[in-house]
Amino acid sequence: MAPPVAKSDMRKIALQGLWRDNPIFRQVLGICSTLAVTNLVANTLVMCTALVFTLSLSAATVSILRTLTPRNIRMMVETLIIAFYVIIVDVVLGAYWPAMRANLGPYVGLIITNCIVMGRCEAYGNSHPPGEAFLDGLFNALGYSFILLIVATFREVLGLGTFLGSPVPFFGGPAWDKWVIMVMPPGAFFMLAIVVWVFRSIQPAKEEKAK
Amino acid sequence: MREKRWFPVLYMFLVTAAFSSVVIGFTAVTRERVEANERLAFEAAVLAVLPGVYEPGLGGAEVHRRFVEQVSEPDDASGGAYTLRQGGQIAAYALPFDGQGFWAPIRGLIGIAADGKTVTGISFYEQTETPGLGAEIVKAAFRNQFKDKQLAREGQPINMKRPGAELDENDVHAVTGATQTSVRLEAIINRAVSEWRSQVGKGGE
Repeated sequence: MAPPVAKSDMRKIALQGLWRDNPIFRQVLGICSTLAVTNLVANTLVMCTALVFTLSLSAATVSILRTLTPRNIRMMVETLIIAFYVIIVDVVLGAYWPAMRANLGPYVGLIITNCIVMGRCEAYGNSHPPGEAFLDGLFNALGYSFILLIVATFREVLGLGTFLGSPVPFFGGPAWDKWVIMVMPPGAFFMLAIVVWVFRSIQPAKEEKAK
Repeated sequence: MREKRWFPVLYMFLVTAAFSSVVIGFTAVTRERVEANERLAFEAAVLAVLPGVYEPGLGGAEVHRRFVEQVSEPDDASGGAYTLRQGGQIAAYALPFDGQGFWAPIRGLIGIAADGKTVTGISFYEQTETPGLGAEIVKAAFRNQFKDKQLAREGQPINMKRPGAELDENDVHAVTGATQTSVRLEAIINRAVSEWRSQVGKGGE
């Protein structure tokens, strides 16, 4: 079905999604979910898995239909496709992991309006073959995921002294006065700002370099 | 055909129909599991308000076993409440309540001791209030307030006062920033308690 993607293309797509055009620290998209679901690593992992699934498959589906879809209604079709995959995730969670669905609250449903998904479908899926669109979606979602996991790890360890629910040495012990603010909403803003700052210093944008 | 003016309409219609059928099929396949999960959430909520039969973190099978073994279904004597019985006597009631919340229905249970007055707990098994505001009603910090409160014989059985206000034996603090949820929940609980009292005759001894 999907034409094979050349190795060099694949490297380029991977590098862009994960690093050069990273959705979080470069494009600063999908920030609402970054702030909302990163207080526990377990919630973040499930959220990231849901986004990887939704983004790669909806980009590929948009790409498959791209020659057929009339241009003037393409956004409606994209939203429909994204909603389709998100509902599938939501139904699966409701059936097999209701506790996690309750933890994530409305945020699974809100993947529909996650700007990264719509952004990749519009900017890439619409104009590239399905194989490449799938990879682009996959690597953008992975780029989003690894930043979220960094934020979540710091928040959970500093705020609760645990990682994935089990105590970590030192931070879980009495010597560490837990920074509860890290697992509350303000902690997300602090951590996200620090992470974006650090990554932008490591990898400045072209226009920033030119100055 | 693609240039025709009606083509986008037809296309959208067909695409929507195709994707929707898959979603509908998928939902139908998982319905049984979803219903079983909802049933378990309800059973856990019933156990949670009855004294001495529940601790957090119980597995689904254990919740179901305890529910079946220890909880009696509502009957005439209990006024629509589930009951915990010891030696044939009612030890506590778990009274279901439901009503419109801020966004969608709130459903839960309030536990009442055999004296018909002392609250043994409150729990929710269905609500979609605003996360961080109204949805705080499901947190232990809010729910624990109800334990050992005395339902008033006159006036409202339970009052929700603004956060920080002084509390009487039938008052709890409302949720900060969630006036609508608090006001509605107060009315839902009080209506359920009043109706229940009129049925079991625990109104004014």
